[in-house]
Amino acid sequence: MLKVANLSVAYGQHRALDKVAVEIAQGEIVTILGANGAGKSSLLKAIAGVVKTLPGKQVSLGTHDLSSLPAHEIVERGLALVPEGRGIFGDLTVKENLLLGANPKRARDGEDIRREKVLTLFPRLRERSAQIARTMSGGEQQMLAIGRALMSNPDILLLDEPSLGLSPIMVHELFATLRRVREAGVGLLLVEQNAQESLAIADRGYVLENGSIVDHDSAENLKTKPAILRAYLGGEPAQT
Amino acid sequence: MTNAILAGLMLGGMYALTAMGLTLQYGVARIMNLSYGEFLIAAAFASYWLFTGWALSPFLGLAFVVPLAFVASFIVYRVLLTPLVNRARNRDALEVDSILATFGLTFIIQGAMLSMFGGAYHSYSFLAFPVELLGTTIAANRLAALAVAVLLGAMLYLALTKTRIGTAIRAVAVDPSAAQLVAIDVPRISALTFALGGALVAAAGVLVSTFLTFNASSGVVFTMKALIIVVMGGVGNILGCLIAGLALGLSESLVATLVDPGLTLAVNFALFLAVLLIKPAGLFGRAAR
Repeated sequence: MLKVANLSVAYGQHRALDKVAVEIAQGEIVTILGANGAGKSSLLKAIAGVVKTLPGKQVSLGTHDLSSLPAHEIVERGLALVPEGRGIFGDLTVKENLLLGANPKRARDGEDIRREKVLTLFPRLRERSAQIARTMSGGEQQMLAIGRALMSNPDILLLDEPSLGLSPIMVHELFATLRRVREAGVGLLLVEQNAQESLAIADRGYVLENGSIVDHDSAENLKTKPAILRAYLGGEPAQT
Repeated sequence: MTNAILAGLMLGGMYALTAMGLTLQYGVARIMNLSYGEFLIAAAFASYWLFTGWALSPFLGLAFVVPLAFVASFIVYRVLLTPLVNRARNRDALEVDSILATFGLTFIIQGAMLSMFGGAYHSYSFLAFPVELLGTTIAANRLAALAVAVLLGAMLYLALTKTRIGTAIRAVAVDPSAAQLVAIDVPRISALTFALGGALVAAAGVLVSTFLTFNASSGVVFTMKALIIVVMGGVGNILGCLIAGLALGLSESLVATLVDPGLTLAVNFALFLAVLLIKPAGLFGRAAR
């Protein structure tokens, strides 16, 4: 269980996140809805330790306290981030990227088994093993980014706009894969522009507006709320 | 002609070796180390001192000088450069800051060497006999130095491409912010890589000292040569370093034999300019995104 509380981020005078609290259990998909600039990416980066936070944040994963750890230590505790823009090593090969994914000590045991699982999940990566990562298509790079994160043996996976720049077919395929990742017992925190697809696979969702959580409910309920329909699903509430 | 090509390859091999450490320091740790040549000369003096004072063969001297240089470079990074790293807003800012800091370091090391050894040129005689190779004669010490250089280069290349820590070092060079997401301790890897670069330049210094004369202020020549080779080959690229080093050595040697020895420096910079005009990111480099 990942528990985040009292998390605030400021860029200069601008308060990007204000005392945010979220929770994700293993084997659960939680999505964060929010407009551009609502602070969704900042939230994921702050949890992963990549951006500085204001004092007072509480982040814990199971029995580990992550509140004051640097990013590279947080990965060791079982929390992996797939950043927006993927963050793969473009000049290295697919194989090398996956090797680096298993760099955390917690990922060394059973590395070969895990690699086999990742390559089964993303068969394309097996074909492209020796290819330089940046020469692959956007969809393949996204697969590599997720595959690399899974190589670190995470309990919780944070995904920042994984569908960005992908064709509709690829998006569909990607979300089907995320479902299978959940079935393996990983908890997923998903930030998405594509609210339709993300609510379809999510168990729960948070709504982030101007740096604060304004709503939190099951995905089922969120889908039918008029405000959500209007703002994120591009529709009017059904007439009753 | 064979003679010129052979001499050029030997020279180029040494150039490549002297530049390898800098390509690590600059490519991975993002430190533009202007005192690089001074580290090389300091190692050369250390080898001189071990050889003349303790009758220790330079090849055995490597076993002392190289680890010492590793530790010294690590300390320099941690004490002198880490504050700059923490302060720099981005990697470009760090580059500028590191140029200034290491420029200062140049004078400190030079001053120390001047006070210890004076300004006179030093050399010692080690394996100074001719060897017959492909119909020409070559000094044995140059050949031995080249052999060690090739060995070191091959080891470094294998370590960087075949091991997990080597791959991690390259990952830091490619994208330090993504590197932390795969549990790479970027400050630690940067410090270790800078130290590794220091160890390599010390090895180069010891090898060079077996066949070149040097004095306390010879360092700048090596810094310049190494810098040209690193930029020509593509920053952080070991293979590029080798090719650029060989190209430089060959062109110098050929021009010196066929045209005029006075033109070697000119051909150096002509080649450098040509590469920069055609491929600004270096032979194996890639333009910044």
